[in-house]
Amino acid sequence: MTERSTKHATFTIERTFAAPPPRVFAAYADAKSKARWFVGPEGWEKSNLKLDFKVGGRESVSGGPPGGPVHYYNAIYQDIVPDERIVLTYEMHMDKTRISVSLGTTEFNPAGTGTRLVYTEQAVFLDGYDDAGSREQGTRGLFDQLARFMEMQ
Amino acid sequence: MTIRNAKHATFTIERVYPAAPARVFAAWSDKEAKTAWAYCHEEWPVSEHVFDFREGGREHLVTGPAGGTRHVFDAVYHDIVPDQRIVYAYDMHLGERRISVSLTTIEFFAVAGGTRLVFTEQGVFFDGYDDIAGREEGTRIGLDNLDRQLRQQRAA
Repeated sequence: MTERSTKHATFTIERTFAAPPPRVFAAYADAKSKARWFVGPEGWEKSNLKLDFKVGGRESVSGGPPGGPVHYYNAIYQDIVPDERIVLTYEMHMDKTRISVSLGTTEFNPAGTGTRLVYTEQAVFLDGYDDAGSREQGTRGLFDQLARFMEMQ
Repeated sequence: MTIRNAKHATFTIERVYPAAPARVFAAWSDKEAKTAWAYCHEEWPVSEHVFDFREGGREHLVTGPAGGTRHVFDAVYHDIVPDQRIVYAYDMHLGERRISVSLTTIEFFAVAGGTRLVFTEQGVFFDGYDDIAGREEGTRIGLDNLDRQLRQQRAA
């Protein structure tokens, strides 16, 4: 029988962008834009991103190293304030096993003519899945990809 | 113009209940059982209650003082392990205004004499609404109500 346990964690990541909040927000709200930066590391096989950007709408994408476990991301949008805030909850599965559920808050704060983005994740890791900081690290990687995407706009 | 901010908080409450995990879990999974203890203010009428207890299922509850502000609770169940764990996300509205979104984990552990329940809420509170202590207190009241209900069932 599976040993049941949980571990709760919170982390915050801040990034600054030269573009004003509406432009950074658009990178989240538009499915084509989001699919350009919200991807796994280079070399991973990936599925198409599906995004229904509205409160109650869902988002999904999957991917993984060739021959390795498939990571499934499934999100539900909980709160959207255009150009200001996005709140969602999401599950991660590795193959068939649910490894975590998280609440993610993204705030788009004006900073001069640019944006100070603040992302806070409050997560529950399930059944001995040993995160060891890898979720935070992976999320920082996503923000690097967002920064590269914004520079190309 | 609304002041935008987001305050994050986590609180954990533990209780030991004099009933086996399956019975305590049933107080969460059964609509009638849950209605008897879970919704804070017993004197407030419930005007809408949708309850679909399964992974991906939703719960929707509208209550509030008669003639006063609508309190709306909307949840989606993310993870259910029968008799062991429930994880759900919920938001609260006061009238038209969303005041918070939270991720709630409830764990049911068998212990001598009954069940140790561990309730963890990780929440984000919006735009100046920051009565986190009130949210925690309301949760404690609910968990006390559950204790009373389980003891009454035993005595019956």
